[in-house]
Amino acid sequence: MKLDDETTDVLIGGYISKEAAKEDYEAALGCGGYLHGAVVVSKDLDGSLSVEQTDHMVREGAAGLGALGFAVGLFAPPLLAATAVGAALGAAGGKLLHRRTASKLEAQAAETIPLGGAGLILAYPHSAAGKVEPAVTRAIKKAVGEAEGHHVQALRAAISDAQHKMAADST
Amino acid sequence: MSEPDRTKLPIRRPPFHGVASRTLHGSVPDWGLTGHAEAPAGAPNVLLVLIDDAGFGNPATFGGPIATPNYTRIAEAGLKYNRFHVTALCSPTRAALLTGRNSHTVGVGSVGEFAGGFPGYSATLPRDCAALPRILRDNGYSTAAFGKWHLTPDGQQGPAGPFDRWPTGWGFDYFYGFLGGGASQWDPCLAENQKVIGTEPEYYDKDNPYYLPDAMADKTIKWLHAIRAQDARKPFFVYFSTGCSHAPHHVTRAWADKYQGQFDQGWDRLRAETFARQKALGVIPADAELTARDPAFPAWDDVPDKLKAYYSRQMEVYAGYSENADYNVGRVIDAIEDLGELDNTLIIWIWGDNGASMEGTITGSFNELTMQNGIPLTDEMQLQLSERYGGTGAWGGQLMDPHYSAAWAWAGNTPFQWGKQVGSHLGGTRNPMVIHWPARVAGGSGDGGGLRSQFTHVTDVAPTILDVAGIPVPSSVDGIDQEPMHGVPFTATFRDPAAPERHTQQYFETIGNRAMYKDGWWLAMRTPRIPWVITPEALRPYAPGVWDPDADPVELYYLPDDFSQAHDLAADHPEKVQELKDLFWREAERYKVLPLLATLSTFFGMLPPLPAEARFEFRGDVENVLSGMIPRIYNHSYAISADLVVPDGTAEGVIVAEADHLGGFSLFVEDGKLTHTYSMMGVFVYRQQATEPLPAGEVNVRMEFAADAPKPATGGEVTLFINDRPVGKGRMDHTVPVRFSGYAGMDIGRDNGGVVDRSYEDRQPFPFSGTVKKVVFDVKPHLTDDNEKELHAAARHGEAAHALSA
Repeated sequence: MKLDDETTDVLIGGYISKEAAKEDYEAALGCGGYLHGAVVVSKDLDGSLSVEQTDHMVREGAAGLGALGFAVGLFAPPLLAATAVGAALGAAGGKLLHRRTASKLEAQAAETIPLGGAGLILAYPHSAAGKVEPAVTRAIKKAVGEAEGHHVQALRAAISDAQHKMAADST
Repeated sequence: MSEPDRTKLPIRRPPFHGVASRTLHGSVPDWGLTGHAEAPAGAPNVLLVLIDDAGFGNPATFGGPIATPNYTRIAEAGLKYNRFHVTALCSPTRAALLTGRNSHTVGVGSVGEFAGGFPGYSATLPRDCAALPRILRDNGYSTAAFGKWHLTPDGQQGPAGPFDRWPTGWGFDYFYGFLGGGASQWDPCLAENQKVIGTEPEYYDKDNPYYLPDAMADKTIKWLHAIRAQDARKPFFVYFSTGCSHAPHHVTRAWADKYQGQFDQGWDRLRAETFARQKALGVIPADAELTARDPAFPAWDDVPDKLKAYYSRQMEVYAGYSENADYNVGRVIDAIEDLGELDNTLIIWIWGDNGASMEGTITGSFNELTMQNGIPLTDEMQLQLSERYGGTGAWGGQLMDPHYSAAWAWAGNTPFQWGKQVGSHLGGTRNPMVIHWPARVAGGSGDGGGLRSQFTHVTDVAPTILDVAGIPVPSSVDGIDQEPMHGVPFTATFRDPAAPERHTQQYFETIGNRAMYKDGWWLAMRTPRIPWVITPEALRPYAPGVWDPDADPVELYYLPDDFSQAHDLAADHPEKVQELKDLFWREAERYKVLPLLATLSTFFGMLPPLPAEARFEFRGDVENVLSGMIPRIYNHSYAISADLVVPDGTAEGVIVAEADHLGGFSLFVEDGKLTHTYSMMGVFVYRQQATEPLPAGEVNVRMEFAADAPKPATGGEVTLFINDRPVGKGRMDHTVPVRFSGYAGMDIGRDNGGVVDRSYEDRQPFPFSGTVKKVVFDVKPHLTDDNEKELHAAARHGEAAHALSA
């Protein structure tokens, strides 16, 4: 399926354990719904990073997206609102999606993912939402954005939409 | 030799019955002068065992799901008491147990850490209330305490004392254990006699790690052997007070795995199963009814399937932890038997100092201190955080400080309502007790395994021990007239199942939850507050001038007909309600219970004086500063400065560290670079590192935290300095508002016990390779007077919150 065939959805999820993020990542890959791509990024307590992504995402989804700006304000979560961890991670994941290579993903994650945190990004056609979204059960925070149009612009807009929703849910 | 006067302690030395002439010529010695006070003839040894934070429906001996073979064997050769009562909170029960007096009268209306400004809450044992160990010691007993103490105020748990509030000050010859309310079972910060000794070296043995319950039994047995090596006859009094089953719930996986799958049915069915076993065992009356679930506890069927394994594991670990306590008490009993003294040892074994603890809130936690610090975490978050530290399979291991869900605690209190802290109901106040003494109990009457149902109370234990030892309650100690003991002996029940009930009237009060018992009637007056919720909104109805305790809802039960408090008779007996209400107020005044809710006074503006010290100096050899005594760095800007001598080459090691990776900070040197790690209860972890290495020689390093605002849990910016030059920085979005740890200590020049930053775990305690000459904390570099007052209030609120969970 090509990325510009229909509305594109992007789900971003935040976690405070890499196991939970990986579990959702695997569940999404195995849910039977079509994915344009998926990325899971985690940072251990010692600061070491790991990134896992589908090839499909790199090939189609990541191209040409590096210039988009994101809501860095999401990294100042409200007092003791641990739920805001998800927002922070979601934003981190959003940034990651714009990076072309794994090494750049890691560099961006080093700045944005808190120690012990993880983020998940899934991009999929809206028609697959019924299968993909229920597979994501463990995110502390998650948001789904959507957009129509040419594939690159649609993906960028969907990410932006998801982040705005995440931000709105964190206030 | 004539029997000495034991009503006045210390016992007066005997008069000289010999002759002392000018020379030895004509002199006659009196060898009685060289002796010491001896116990009355026939006085037995006493082993007093107290399990922590456990419920009536926990041990298998009383129908629970937890295997307790030693408790059962002692009960089958002795007696089970099914109407024994405690105070619904840790320290008050311990104070009542060891003094024979109501807890408020001896200043322990709340937990021992926090000394309040009212007589019933001063955490200070009055000198007119000499404690049981002191009385026994002065009457010729060897006395020792092992395990949990929880009767020493926070600020007095160091080498400056004062030690009259330590176990030795209460009359124990020997103490090995921890002074606070809870401790890690893996790396507790321990005290021995009058010294904080910190974490035992065996903690670092990864193949055979230290485990406090094992060590308690080892130490007890060793102490028994030692006193017998010296004196074959002197009776002993051992107070064996387990840290189990208080959080953190620590036990090896092998113990927990014995219960794998045994709680998958959930807490609702577990209650029903326990209740059925209790009926079958006869430990509750045949007509007893299982009380209903309060809406505060979710139905198990409403728990999402994906989280059920998480919740089940919590109870598996608690059960294994508790069974291990039974095992280690069994080892002590075996040792006494091996000495040939079991027949003449009175064993009193109480399973729980209050009901099982609901302080884990509904979610339970990977780190019990997250609750006390007010961090809102859902059960999914708790699960993920447990995964961060090894997963639910590691629940109970060294990397977590877990507490189970309040719903499991409620199930542990079957068949009653509520649990710990709820002094108005039996779930918080009725616990199992077993008595074993072959010389005088059961064996002679052929009533082994018998059940006793007289109303008994924790204040009765000390008078009973003195009664069987033939020792009077002293009228004077150290020249001070003594308050009579409030409890009464239940010795008559040892042989006579139908012995008349002697304890006919008793008040209960814990954090405003109160009850009045008289002649079978029980008036329950529960403040309508969920015990584990201490938000401002939850506390507001209890403000001075707002709360009218007489307007609280009441429930009336007649316990002889209603064992579990299943039938509220208040509407049918308004005159009895009023009678017991009036009686409660009289008793409350008599026993210094007033003012009600003194424990919460700081929430309502009643604060102790502002602390004057803002600068704290620690020389380089100071270690094991207990968690309640570290400088008050919470919620505002502060600086930590250290004078070092840095060796040539690459320096490394800890300069100063408090607590561990589940809450704490460490200023250390890694690869020659100054590094600061701060763990916000293991939820958020921050690390900043200098961009350049430390120079060799005399160096000053400093970490400054510039708070965004002086407010609870404030975020802020960290800057690292070498010789006043900034060399690194970073941000911490959240800081700890109340307390890093319930037990772990602060160390200069090393990080004892569990480490703050696990990157140096393989080198723990990671001592500094150079010299730490001095560490200085400056805790208010930027505050106004108003800020200081507000933060002082916040700190006291935190203490009160800790008190509600300790």
